Order: sequence, then structure tokens, then C-alpha cells
Amino acid sequence: MALFAKKHKGFDAATVPPAMDANEAASIAFAHDQGLSRHHFVEGEHPAVRIEHLNKTFNGETQVLRDVNLDVWNGEIVVVLGPSGSGKSTMLRCINLLETPTAGHILIDDEEITGKSGREVARVRRELGMVFQGFNLFPHLTALENVMVGQTKVLKKDKEEARAEAIKQLEAVGMGDRIDFKPPQLSGGQQQRVAIARAVAMHPKVLLFDEPTSALDPELVRDVLGVMRELALHGNMTMIVVTHEMGFAREVADRVVFMEGGVVVEQGLPEDVFDHPQHERTKQFLGSIG
Amino acid sequence: MGEGEEVKDITLTLPEGGSFEGSSTKVTALDGLTRTGVEGVATPSDNSLKVVFSEPVSQNLLVRLEVEGMAFPSEGGDVVVGGSYTTGAGEQKLDDSKPIETIANTPLQSIVSFLDESPAVAAWNSNQFLGMFFKPQLLVTSLCTLAPGWLLCLAIVAIAYPIAIMLGLLFAFMKISRYRILRAIAITYVNLLRGTPLFLQIYIMFFGLPMMNINIDNNVLGVIVIAVNASAYLAEIFRAGIQSIPEGQYEAASSLGMTYLQTMFYVILPQTIRRVIPTVTSDFITSYKDTSLLSSVGVMELMMFAKNLTSVSGNMTPYVAAAIFYLIVTLPLIKVVGNIEKRIAHSEHGHGLRPKIRTNEEGSAQAEAELGDEISVHAEALEREGALGERVMLSFNSVAAEV
Repeated sequence: MALFAKKHKGFDAATVPPAMDANEAASIAFAHDQGLSRHHFVEGEHPAVRIEHLNKTFNGETQVLRDVNLDVWNGEIVVVLGPSGSGKSTMLRCINLLETPTAGHILIDDEEITGKSGREVARVRRELGMVFQGFNLFPHLTALENVMVGQTKVLKKDKEEARAEAIKQLEAVGMGDRIDFKPPQLSGGQQQRVAIARAVAMHPKVLLFDEPTSALDPELVRDVLGVMRELALHGNMTMIVVTHEMGFAREVADRVVFMEGGVVVEQGLPEDVFDHPQHERTKQFLGSIG
Repeated sequence: MGEGEEVKDITLTLPEGGSFEGSSTKVTALDGLTRTGVEGVATPSDNSLKVVFSEPVSQNLLVRLEVEGMAFPSEGGDVVVGGSYTTGAGEQKLDDSKPIETIANTPLQSIVSFLDESPAVAAWNSNQFLGMFFKPQLLVTSLCTLAPGWLLCLAIVAIAYPIAIMLGLLFAFMKISRYRILRAIAITYVNLLRGTPLFLQIYIMFFGLPMMNINIDNNVLGVIVIAVNASAYLAEIFRAGIQSIPEGQYEAASSLGMTYLQTMFYVILPQTIRRVIPTVTSDFITSYKDTSLLSSVGVMELMMFAKNLTSVSGNMTPYVAAAIFYLIVTLPLIKVVGNIEKRIAHSEHGHGLRPKIRTNEEGSAQAEAELGDEISVHAEALEREGALGERVMLSFNSVAAEV
């Protein structure tokens, strides 16, 4: 409820500089990110997601994000690492406005989404798929219906088309044999795969993963990571993944971002960050989880 | 009557099937305006009654026979009472009476008279408790007499409840609205109605409105009071149901790009409805029973009929009959609530019937509707009228046949 009740009160653009001119911002980001990512940069391209001076304070006192700046490029796979409480999930949730930024700008394809309300927010969210830690499948609908409902109600596709797309996506995540199951009848790993299919079926510009394997039993993690890897390598998707799976990050990420205390401490190519971390905190974190 | 003759006796005859058994007879002979001391002894036999006078009655007297408790043939129709009298010169025929219109005996009357005659019933009734609370004759009569009251109860609650559900949903949404004024209105409405007895609300509406010259039909007003009262409880049930849906469901729906209304209609409310069905059914049972309070303001519902019949008969059995009518509806519903609760608990843990796992070939074929945990409400028990349709209660006890 609060999600809708809050709307976008409390967003104060005045405390930060206005969003930069798109071309200027793109060229600065371009220069900054080259060498930090495996992404194949094309001269003149603009970032798919641009986070500018993002601040988030809970209840007016707990500051979770401090002046976060991040650009994510089309087709790039960005993995965000960091200890719990570092603000990485909050940042992700700010991107599709599940949390309202206290200050700063978020731009999707150069379109400012902060400070919008109601219908416009719903339109923006269409472009941003999200996979949750707790799956959040709709328990009253079957797997198939879960994947169809967004297509029919939001994208207004006709039933047959939505159904074909849903079956295609469910088969892609290896759930083609259980499309009539309801979520409570599925294991956590299966539910998460359906949730991924649900997000992908909307063909969003960007897919956000909020610790998608943290709530899973270890033996189920592999299936879900397999699906994500497949999506990352062959799905031609832009993905921002908050996770603790180092193996996945090292193998799949174009860029690894390390956050702590609400700021981006360090970012770069996975091999650079994992093998030659520059900051003391990154070293400590990577050391602590082996 | 012939000159100088005297009448010794008179015989009255009913058509075949009638009887005078158990009749009481009163004989009056008038000489002008003076009552004579003539008396008579009446002897019934099958369908005739012979009255023998203590002394022969002379011809200038007017003889009047009052016969009570005779039984007409049970088929009904126009009945003609015939007769004859005996003088010294032998038997003479009396003129037939005018046709007396009678109505066929109802099955109920047959049952009641059958019970009246049964020695087992008499033995049963001789027990003070059984006779006072479970008198068979009165039970049968009550079940028939109370039926229209029961139907009115059902009608009132059947019309009031859907209205209450609409109002309840409206106030539930107002209560969780982001606008303070709407919340305040809803909170006031719900608290006032839940904080005062329904009985009081009934009195205020039924006596208050007429004083303001607003006159609404009693039954309609009954529906309104019940609906408004139930809506307050339903509003709370719905609000709690809506708020019990985890935040993650809202987040998932909005991350798909659903608007507030879409989220409500396609995600939140379907889950809410499943969760509140047992509570709403229990509340329906309460509302149904609460219609009994309307008897206090003259709505002719079940309790009203039971009360009237009890005060006429001086027996508690009509109340027992009323209890039966309430239970006919409530017991099956209580059972249904239990079943649904079990079922929901089952399906939320993923037990119950599972759909078939598809092989790859059928995977892309169409879905069969083989859903394991779909909730189906068995709306039985709401329609059981039939059987108790009639309530014809006529008695022929005091038909006076004048000759």
C-alpha cells in the first residue's frame, strides 16, 4: 500500500544540481567507464540507465545512499557486490522507484524518471523488469498465468499471443513442464525461474535482480544461476544484478561494482576487482568471503 | 307436520364420510317466546345423529338443535345436511338444509388429527418437558405456519448481504485511502456501527424515520438496517484481508507496470477474497440470525410468527420450530466454513491435487483446467422451501346446524 500512498513526495531535486545535459553526461560517462567494463563501447552511445547524485534517507535520519553515480550501458551486465546494509538493494529499488529517491536523478534512456507520479511511474516500470529475493509470484495464479498477466493487462497483448510468449519464456527457464502449477506447489528454485520468465516476458529494457538466490537452498541456487547466465550471455539483455555469488560475478559480469556504506567504493572488470582490489574495504570484503 | 301430531325424535344425516362422533348437542324448544322444559338425548351413529326428546314435542313448538363438533367429509365441497323426524304416524322427511361450503382437509390437518388420535403421541405429550417443547402436533403446525417468516428472513438477508459487501468494500478502501478525510469518514462509520448494538440501530431507524415523516416499508427498512450493520463488520474484514497481502505482491505487480487499480483487481483482491471467504461466511451467519431482532419492530419474520403462535398456544414448541429453521441454514454453512478453511490451509502449503507434469510435446499445447486448489464454495442449503408450502388452518369446530 505504502508503495502507492507515498507517491513521490519527499523528492527534493533542489538539493542536487539539475540533471546534466544528456550528451555531456554520456560523453563523461563514456570516458569514465571505458576500461572498467567488458562492454563494447560504441562512440556516441548513451547509457541505458544513468544514476546521478542519488541519495536516499529513510525516516529522515538513516542515510542509506550517499551521492551514488553509476551508468549502465545497453547490453551490459553489471554485478553489484557489497556487505549487507551497504545500500546496494536500495539503489536497485530506487531504479524502478520501489523506493523514492530522497535526492538525485535517475534516467532511463535519457528520460528522467524521478519526480514522476501515478500513471507515468507505471509506464516507466514497464521498461524495468525486476526479480526479487522472495520471488513474489502471484500465488493465486498458475506459473503460466503469472507470466501472462503482465502481458495481457499492462501491454494489452491478446491472450493467445501472451500465452505463446509465456510458454516460450517458461521453456527457456526449464519450467515448460510445470506451466499449470501454482507457486506454492513449486520449489523455491522453480518459483524463481518462473519469476525470471515473468520479468523477461515483458521485454524490459533493463532487468534488475535483487539477490535472486539468497532465499534459496544451496542445491537450488545452481539452476537459477544457470538461467541467469544463459540470459546474460545469450539474451542480449541489460542486467543489474545484486548478489553474493562471486563465481557468477567473475564469470558473467561485464563490470563489478563494490558498494559499502551507501557509496560506490570501487568498480571495474571482474578480474581487476577480484584479483587486484584497490581499496582496503574491497580487500577486506573479498577476503572475508574467501 | 301433520295436525295434532307430536314429534318424538329427530335424526340428522350427513353425507357419507361425515360424522357426529364427539359432538355436543343442545336442544331448545320454544313455545312462542317461552322456553319449554323439553330436553333431548343425542346419540351419534356413523354419519347420523338421533335426538330423542324427553317428552314428545307438540307441533306448535319451535325446536332448535345446536350441534357442535361434527365432522364434514374430508373431501370438502358443498355439504347438505338431511334429516327426518318421527311422529305417531311414522317417519317423515325434513327439508334438506342449504348447501354448506366446506374446504377439503389439508394434509396438515390430516397429519394433526392423526397425531391427535395416536396414543404414542398422547404418551409423549404427557411428559411435561416433551409436551411443552416438542409437542408433535404443534411442531407440524409451526413448521408450516413459520415458513413464510423464514422465507422473509432469507429474503432480507439475501438482498441485504450483497449490498453489505459493496458497502464493506467501499469503506475498506476508504479506510486504507491516502486521503485523511476519507479515512476519517470510514473510521467513524465503522466504529459507530460496530460500537452500538444492532437492536439500538433498529430502534433508531424504525422509530426515528417515521418521526421525521419518512415512511419506508418495514421489510425494506429491515434490509437497509441489516445491510448497513453488516457492512461495518465486512469493511473491517476486507481491510484486514487486503492488508494481510504481503508488500511483495504490490511490488511485483508494480514492477510489471501495473497501475494501482490493476494491482488491486488482478493481484490483491483475488487473493484477499480467498482469504476472507471463511470469515465472511461466518459474518453472513451472524447477519442471518440477526434478522430475528427485526421481530421487535413488527417485521413479520420467523421470530414474529413463532412468538405469535406461542402466545396463542401457550406452548414453547413454535420456538423450537423457529430454531430448526435457523439451523437448516446455519449448520451447513458452518460446515462449509470449516471445509474452506481446511482447503485454504492445504493449498497455501502447496499440498493437494497437483497438475500433471507435462512432457515436452504437450508443453506448448493448451492448458487443461486441472487445478488442484481452486476454491469452490458450496452454496447449498439456501434453497429448501417446497415441503412446507401450505398453511391452511381452518377448523370446523363450531358449525351450528340449525333446523
